[in-house]
Amino acid sequence: MIGTIPLSDVLLASGALFSIGIAGALLRRNAIQIFLSIELMMNAANLALLGYGAALGTHQGQIIVFFVIAIAAAEASVGLAIFVALFRHTETIDVNKINLLKW
Amino acid sequence: MSAARIVFDAFALVAILFAGLMVVGKDPIKSVLALVVSFFALAATYVMVLSPFIAGLQVIVYAGAILVLFLFVIMLLNVGREKPDGSRRPIQTVLGSLSVVVFATLLLGMLRSSGTSLPPQREAVGKELLPDPAAIARLLFSDYLLHFEAVSVLLLAALVGAFVLARREEAP
Amino acid sequence: MTLVDWIILLLRVLLPALIMPVFVIPLTWLERRGAAFIQDRPGPNRVGPLGLGQAIADMVKMFTKEAVMPASADRMLFLLAPAVAVFAALSTFAIVPYASTLEVGGKTIPLIGADLSIAITSLSVYAIVLAGWASNDKFALMGGIRSSAQIISYELAMTTAAAGVVLAASSFRLPEIIAMQQGTWLGIIPRWNVFPQLLGFLVFFIAAFAETNRLPFDLPEAEPELVAGYHTEYSAMRFGAFQMAEYVNVMVASAVTTTLYFGGWSIPGFHPHGVVGAILSLLIFAAKTFFFVSVFIWVRWTLPRFRYDQLMKIGWKALLPLALLNLLWIAGLSAWRLSR
Repeated sequence: MIGTIPLSDVLLASGALFSIGIAGALLRRNAIQIFLSIELMMNAANLALLGYGAALGTHQGQIIVFFVIAIAAAEASVGLAIFVALFRHTETIDVNKINLLKW
Repeated sequence: MSAARIVFDAFALVAILFAGLMVVGKDPIKSVLALVVSFFALAATYVMVLSPFIAGLQVIVYAGAILVLFLFVIMLLNVGREKPDGSRRPIQTVLGSLSVVVFATLLLGMLRSSGTSLPPQREAVGKELLPDPAAIARLLFSDYLLHFEAVSVLLLAALVGAFVLARREEAP
Repeated sequence: MTLVDWIILLLRVLLPALIMPVFVIPLTWLERRGAAFIQDRPGPNRVGPLGLGQAIADMVKMFTKEAVMPASADRMLFLLAPAVAVFAALSTFAIVPYASTLEVGGKTIPLIGADLSIAITSLSVYAIVLAGWASNDKFALMGGIRSSAQIISYELAMTTAAAGVVLAASSFRLPEIIAMQQGTWLGIIPRWNVFPQLLGFLVFFIAAFAETNRLPFDLPEAEPELVAGYHTEYSAMRFGAFQMAEYVNVMVASAVTTTLYFGGWSIPGFHPHGVVGAILSLLIFAAKTFFFVSVFIWVRWTLPRFRYDQLMKIGWKALLPLALLNLLWIAGLSAWRLSR
């Protein structure tokens, strides 16, 4: 037998990843790296969803994660398009400097 | 301490380590690469959590397409390393770190699982993995059909939106 | 899982990875002699009989050349890129069943590395993008960006064509796909997937050319336009690593094509037993793969290169719709079969 994985391990891993993601989102100035941290947070949530899905013996966890991945793809492309458009105007991606509503 | 648990913990540790490297790294390209490795390790953990289909999707879509897109944008905009030019005020760093610490403590303290564990892994040699794709497909096209179609419309909207947003404005 | 099981698992996974690079050497010889034959010239024939020593000479040259790295290049990424290329190429082979199951000592050992999905091919994009970016060189960057855009575009057509095969077999697992290609129709035509899915096979094979950066899709490394594309700044063994990765990719693409569409290690009427059967099935597989590798070489020296916009047009506007059409056709066929 290969054995079993306790759910607490999965949740701990997911929680740690999520905290790291929050740290990245709050403490970085580069907009792209903030975005990367957000993606990390989404993956942490995916892990938790899959863990619970497996523990409860249902496929619903996987279905939700399937949709989350698709939506993350859509959101990443639009977000990056916004960055590209923004960068053309402001020449910087430092979020502390992008502080005007109109220029 | 079962073999499955050791494998899962190992991959989870790798994922966390590289996620940390991603957050700390100054060069955006190295951050993206660290995240790629982290996502690969995460895909391995997904396999351990009995979701091989999602693991495959994670590698193809997330690590293979979305992060490549990030890489392209970073190269296109030629985003360099973060320069300490004084636009960050110390209060930001302090408050940010404080809130992260508080949040992490709360989160990790609250996570309880009442002793549940995942069902036992099957033998890896010569046996079938759970026949996920068929079961997922059946659910997707029956109970979740509306969600499925809605997501495809969303993807179409995102496609058009990204195209319009990133387009160069024509000179009047 | 006993220790023996772990050892068997390790061998199953590592053996192909270690053997594939060895096959690259005769492949370089084959490429040069094949090119010469098509171009009606002798080709390398000085070193050893029939020029076979040329491959060894090339290898020695690669190892002993001075490895130069541009001063303004990003050191870590520059060194990482060839490693990623080789890793992606070798790990993709892990999914291919190269022979039938081997029954030794009461344990059945399926001769396939691991049941991974074809996801690993997406890794090869990183090697090229990194090589292009890290070289800090305009030509390299352009080659890198073009190549990665090409790879991710054709990945779609390729996986959609493969999805047709998966649909017909109702399984993602390659051994099962081979199992459903046993037997014959009308006693003569083998039940290979290429016959009901000719369109899918063509799409897959053409996309495989684009995925491996082989002519006619090799604009990323085009000599006249881009010096050497993404590996301009690489020399000696680092360049050798990229070349090796490319040849391994060609072998893997041929291997996957034979598995998905031409029955892999099986021929109709052949039921392998024991070690002899496994070896025979391995030889059959090798023969079929060799045929497709020769087709890769043949096409390379026959067709001219596509221009970049033509390339993207073909990928998105031609191959992807055809692959979807193939999928529809197979779905209809399967539904009809089920309803009978």
